Amino acid sequence: MNAGTSALALHYLRVRRAGRDVLDVPHIEVDVGETLAVLGPNGAGKSTLLLAAALLLPADGEVTIFGEMARRGVHVRLRRQTATVFQDAALLDMTVRQNVEIALAMHGVGGPERRTRAEEWLGRLGVAHLARQRGHAVSGGEAQRVSLARAFAVRPRLLFLDEPFAGVDHATRATLTGELRALLAAEGTAALFATHDHSEALLLAPRVVLLDAGRPLQVGPATDVLARPESDRAARFLGFSVLGPASCTLLGLRPVDGVTRAAIAPEAARLDAGGVLATVRRVEAGAGAGRLLVELASGDSIAIARPVETLRDASLAAGREVRVAVDEARVVWLAR
Amino acid sequence: MDLLLDALREAVRLLRTGDGDVYSITLRTALITSVSTFVAALVGLPLGLGIALGRFPGQRALLAMANAGTGLPPVVAGLLVAVLLWRSGPLGALGLIYTPWAMVIAQALIATPLVVSFAAAGVMALPPALHLQIRAMGAGSAQYLWLVAREARLALLVAVMAGFGGVVSEVGAAMMVGGNLAGETRVLTTAAVLEVNRGNFGTALALGLILLLFVIGVSAVLTTAQARVRRR
Repeated sequence: MNAGTSALALHYLRVRRAGRDVLDVPHIEVDVGETLAVLGPNGAGKSTLLLAAALLLPADGEVTIFGEMARRGVHVRLRRQTATVFQDAALLDMTVRQNVEIALAMHGVGGPERRTRAEEWLGRLGVAHLARQRGHAVSGGEAQRVSLARAFAVRPRLLFLDEPFAGVDHATRATLTGELRALLAAEGTAALFATHDHSEALLLAPRVVLLDAGRPLQVGPATDVLARPESDRAARFLGFSVLGPASCTLLGLRPVDGVTRAAIAPEAARLDAGGVLATVRRVEAGAGAGRLLVELASGDSIAIARPVETLRDASLAAGREVRVAVDEARVVWLAR
Repeated sequence: MDLLLDALREAVRLLRTGDGDVYSITLRTALITSVSTFVAALVGLPLGLGIALGRFPGQRALLAMANAGTGLPPVVAGLLVAVLLWRSGPLGALGLIYTPWAMVIAQALIATPLVVSFAAAGVMALPPALHLQIRAMGAGSAQYLWLVAREARLALLVAVMAGFGGVVSEVGAAMMVGGNLAGETRVLTTAAVLEVNRGNFGTALALGLILLLFVIGVSAVLTTAQARVRRR
């Protein structure tokens, strides 16, 4: 990557709060037209990273937007090349159309064009019928659509998205994610997208940064990062079970190149009559998927993906004994 | 009881016959109170916004001072202004003591902390996400201030109402720096005090009623403006 193809470049970006680093990013770059997802658990520093990159939070280090380094006096001009969508749509106390128009006014768009563009984008996001309603009177999902319309209407070259759909219901979230993906592709807008949702990251971004405690754990193609964590912390955040040498021996897993710690995806583990004895600790239910958490004799726990409806079975109640096996071909060996 | 009835009768008569003195006192009260409130708003609203939004040394101390100033006794404000404007005082050469301008200064001194405190509280109560969103939209400093003030407009209106409320009914400062001079600095509150001292309860009651009507009228106008802002 070089300056000519970079929409955003962050170098040694650091934010300190109460005497400790809450963000410490040596280097992150987003190409022109590329979407980069910042994936991490709550409190990982995703929002801090986005705010610092969007020049909305004072930070040490360098932020370069389309080849121009942010320095005193140019922040407002650089911000006008970008737009930000927050988790809280934060619509102003005016009509929905005025909410879009005010952003356009900040970008120097004149009166008649302002109205045309506001109406065009409200239409594209499916909220044209709300144009005359007060910003505070629309629902969460609608507000987020208005917020997206406001962001895209100014034709940003770079978009910052801070968990924009975290506050809306599952169905709306799925729809909005799909629409956002289409809009980003159609407009060719570069984006830095913060989320804690793996599937959202996978759908929207070809590349992913895994962030934990304000530091990047792993950067790479989304499919690789999500399937092949490189460290214990990355594996645990991605939902893998991390097993030590004793558990690996128990399960008959043969270490590769002397590495003895294994990350097992829930889909790589199964209940198997010929497997190793384990004790059920608890069941967990997610959106359409379930997990059975069992403890091996070695003390490590392992999660097994199961259809939710099977988890009601009395034989899988906490404290019951089951037999477990692991698909060795899907084991990820952890060097760190 | 008779005293009260007589007083009420006198009050109604004064109001019905349109006593010239009463009307000139009422007009003077409206003018002095309006100018004081306007000055307090002119100084207090930007100060309140600055304290709420700025990051500078002494910001907390300023807010604490403004909050403490909301309880400033009018007599103390009057005393301070009187000392400053007294003929032998540091600003005595201006010749403002016992003029309506002295009353405006004293009343603005009383109202400003109220405006600052209410305005700062209103702006601070805005959601933090709103500030970020406005800046993220590419707002320059002036646009940012304008939009924040617009979002907090109800609170700012309440701040001005509080300032008005603080000055319209005070009597201590007005008496001290205005001197209650007939035809010059006599306002409804000072005139009412004088009439009570003279035993003219009817006139005093009439003045009190007019003051009450004036306050209700101004409050009604401001409340209508508030409701309109909310609807807009």
